[in-house]
Amino acid sequence: MKKRTVYSYWFLAPMLVIYVTLFIIPIAISFFFSLTNWTFEGWSFCGIENFRTFFTEPALYSSIGNTFIYAFLTSSLKVVLAFLIALFLTSAIKTKTFLRSAVFFPNLVSMIAVGLTFKAILNPTKGILNQCLAWLGMEGRDWLGDVSTALFAVVGVDVWKGLSIAVVIFIAGIKSIDTAYLEAARIDGAGSWQILKYITLPLCRPAVNSVILLSLIGGLKSFDLIWSMTGGGPGYATDVIASVIYKQYAAGYYGLSTAGNVLMYLMIAIIAFPLQKFLLKAEEG
Amino acid sequence: MKKETMKRAAAAALSAVMLLSLGACGEKKKDAGEDSGESTHEITLQVGSDSALKGLEEVCKLAESEIGIKVDIEYTVAGTDTDNLIKTRLSTGDLADILVYSPGALLMTLNPSEHFIDLSEYDFADKLDETYRSSVSNDKGTYGVPMGTTRAGAVMYNKKLYKELGLRVPGTWDEFMENCRKVKDAGKNAIICTMGTSYTVQVPVLGDMYNVLADNPDFIAQFEKGETGFAEVPEGTESFQKLADTVPFYQDGYTAATYDDGCEMLVSGESAHWIMLTSALTNISSLYSDQINDIGVFAIPGDDPENVGITTWMPNGLYGNKDSENVEDVVKFLEFFVSDKAIETYLANDAVTGPLCVKDVAYPESTPDAVTEDMQSYFDSGKVSLAQEFLTQVKGSATTEVCTSLITGQYDVGQAVKAYDEDCFKQAEQLGIK
Repeated sequence: MKKRTVYSYWFLAPMLVIYVTLFIIPIAISFFFSLTNWTFEGWSFCGIENFRTFFTEPALYSSIGNTFIYAFLTSSLKVVLAFLIALFLTSAIKTKTFLRSAVFFPNLVSMIAVGLTFKAILNPTKGILNQCLAWLGMEGRDWLGDVSTALFAVVGVDVWKGLSIAVVIFIAGIKSIDTAYLEAARIDGAGSWQILKYITLPLCRPAVNSVILLSLIGGLKSFDLIWSMTGGGPGYATDVIASVIYKQYAAGYYGLSTAGNVLMYLMIAIIAFPLQKFLLKAEEG
Repeated sequence: MKKETMKRAAAAALSAVMLLSLGACGEKKKDAGEDSGESTHEITLQVGSDSALKGLEEVCKLAESEIGIKVDIEYTVAGTDTDNLIKTRLSTGDLADILVYSPGALLMTLNPSEHFIDLSEYDFADKLDETYRSSVSNDKGTYGVPMGTTRAGAVMYNKKLYKELGLRVPGTWDEFMENCRKVKDAGKNAIICTMGTSYTVQVPVLGDMYNVLADNPDFIAQFEKGETGFAEVPEGTESFQKLADTVPFYQDGYTAATYDDGCEMLVSGESAHWIMLTSALTNISSLYSDQINDIGVFAIPGDDPENVGITTWMPNGLYGNKDSENVEDVVKFLEFFVSDKAIETYLANDAVTGPLCVKDVAYPESTPDAVTEDMQSYFDSGKVSLAQEFLTQVKGSATTEVCTSLITGQYDVGQAVKAYDEDCFKQAEQLGIK
């Protein structure tokens, strides 16, 4: 028995080599360089100085706040909206196939392209959105330029773009429910609300968990959309941890930005691992 | 037992082969690169710009017929993203043969002695204006030749509108504010802000360097040692106060307005002032050439009407990649680039935005009045200072964010100055400048 286990590891070896060289070693190296002052000319050891500097970063605390707001808001909106849309698209409607492709469409466009498009749409004076609002007699806002709305505007776009994957997962989840349960419930006289509450929801629990986990992690490390829409601005209003680190790297502070990456890695790990465990447990139980 | 050892060996061998083949891929690529460089006189040039650079393109065309070198221009994005691209390419060895990039402190962050060809041993380096030369040199050598002319960070204004409203060029900041109020009362927009092109928000602060240095001549030396900061001298705080003063005069939708929008608003007479680098004259002359002389320039005023001076920027430089396979051709092209013929061609296709950086060259006839009259008068009377980024390597990377936070009300003036000083200190610490 034991022999067989050892034997199977050899098949994993090539994969493991790639994993170690391209993943484990860079992580180890980045842990090391996060403790150094690293420039083009070389590096000098500086202990935990980088971590100390990182924590005095003016935008750090607001960016951590923004990261959590962004991650939890996009994740929860995606779960709720995508579930409703999936329910609708699995019901008996005629244009089902067309609507399903329509919902999936935003996912085919690159994140940066989506960001730039919406930046134009949200332009305060020339953007389509504000012009439409003006046409309806409402006053638009400076969505991305106003400190109080900028983050939420980006969240809205992220949800629009990210909804499709969640919908697909939910459709798969709902479709995989054995129709026997539904028939049985109907024969027992259950209404659609009861079917939803006692059959559909509990049985597509795995799908819900996948969506929560994927969108939350996606939100925590989100960067491209924010960068293309606001560049972290105005000022620091939409800075998230990833954009703070990116700006440090851009300024040539390699050691400091590596320290930031190490911290971000730890932070996501601390949130994601227990969450996954919790969700899996809930799934089993 | 034996069987298992063999299997083990086979698996180990397999993984070794995989690793080797990975290495071999890298090797092969390098060889191919070396081969292609030898037979043709073709070099590559990388420049970060959102719009086509006609002057540069014409000089490159001329180089093909004059010295037989074909230059392949690669445009990359402008702004901070170009910095990241360049740094990534430097560290992976993918940089073009010639890089067009800022001189001064930004050049120094690229560690020029490591990456760029030292031009000080060639005669043509002596043609460079001394002030310019100092901004592309460190103690180990000289690395660049100028592309275009100097620029100033100053107030560009619409002369037609000034005449219409009966305004005079202000001698003090208070007079400037008074002018802005009059413009606003007349139903026009007083000051343009183009936050959509984010770097532009810092110009009012950086363009005030002359006024900071006027009363504190040793400021930069002490600043570099960390002995003083903008918050420590009243004029430094005033630079940020001035930015805050301008905010109520901005046009609607200023957070999304771009650089091109700014040019249009100024030329159309819709707006009176734009505190911007005078390189905008290039853009204005190519888009609205018949109106270029409606635009005037005056320095950002201080408190003393007797001492109004202008803060200048040095033009981007062309730097030769030391690791290029065509070093000889690159040097030949750089030498050609500062020849009279090339400069004449360049300036014929690109607005002159300030005095020149190569000795003994005359202005072309099409030079805007803003340069030959307005700006030249500051240069003639010696009331000129270099901008911070050319005086010292210490210039915080978050200046744009700090200024934007001040404009959008997330910081007050005191917080902004303090944040700027801290950002500069962090940069000095991280880049090992002390």
